[in-house]
Amino acid sequence: MEATRPLFIPVILGTARMGRMSLHAARLVTRELGKRARVETELIDIARLPLPTDDAGEAIKHPEFSARMDRADALVIISPEYNHGYSGLLKHVLDSCLKEYIHKAVGIAGVSAGPFGGARAIQNLLPVMRELGLVTIFWDVNFSSVQKLFDENGKLLDESFIRRIDKFLKELIWMAKTLRHGREQISAD
Amino acid sequence: MAATKIQSRMICPSCKVEMNHHCDKLVYNTGPLGAGPADLTPGGVITEFHTCPGCGGGASRDA
Repeated sequence: MEATRPLFIPVILGTARMGRMSLHAARLVTRELGKRARVETELIDIARLPLPTDDAGEAIKHPEFSARMDRADALVIISPEYNHGYSGLLKHVLDSCLKEYIHKAVGIAGVSAGPFGGARAIQNLLPVMRELGLVTIFWDVNFSSVQKLFDENGKLLDESFIRRIDKFLKELIWMAKTLRHGREQISAD
Repeated sequence: MAATKIQSRMICPSCKVEMNHHCDKLVYNTGPLGAGPADLTPGGVITEFHTCPGCGGGASRDA
């Protein structure tokens, strides 16, 4: 059964800011993921998730987001770095689920206007991923100086990123397959 | 003598097959009522997580 079901790996765009350059990075990673055999993906834009802000956690679970996280074998998070951290709205969205994430793989791509490519936002996300039950991979993608990486139409201007994304996705897919096998076949009892 | 709690296998509602119990996790209940009666650790509940080997669907319950 495992061999017949494609992996589902959605990409979460972790910012709602107007004019966000992370959108270009998210579209690029989604396109590259979509080229993989037996992998289905879609871009989830947190700006389009109508979550209330007068409560938090699983009490505000969004049925469609929850269903996608439940179906997912792995996640890609595209996180910009704002003041050395990830966006508050990304945390708000991620906190709306829990059981949906357990023993699933996650890869994080950081985006920044500066030279570090969101590295500090990624580091801050790692303990959150762990507590959510997600399993992080050891490859990241760092979209540094993002305003120079894409033109106004979102075209990638530095092709070396394709190879970096390839390494990142290979590791994520391997981890997704391994964890799916573990979730479905290896008992904790 | 300490009582041992033995839970039945979870069955996938879609595939009707036994699900795989792959982990337990301490889940913090942030609701207004706090943690439930299955509480083993202050502030949290040990929760079992199960996955169907047929469809990949997940389920959970208090341990």
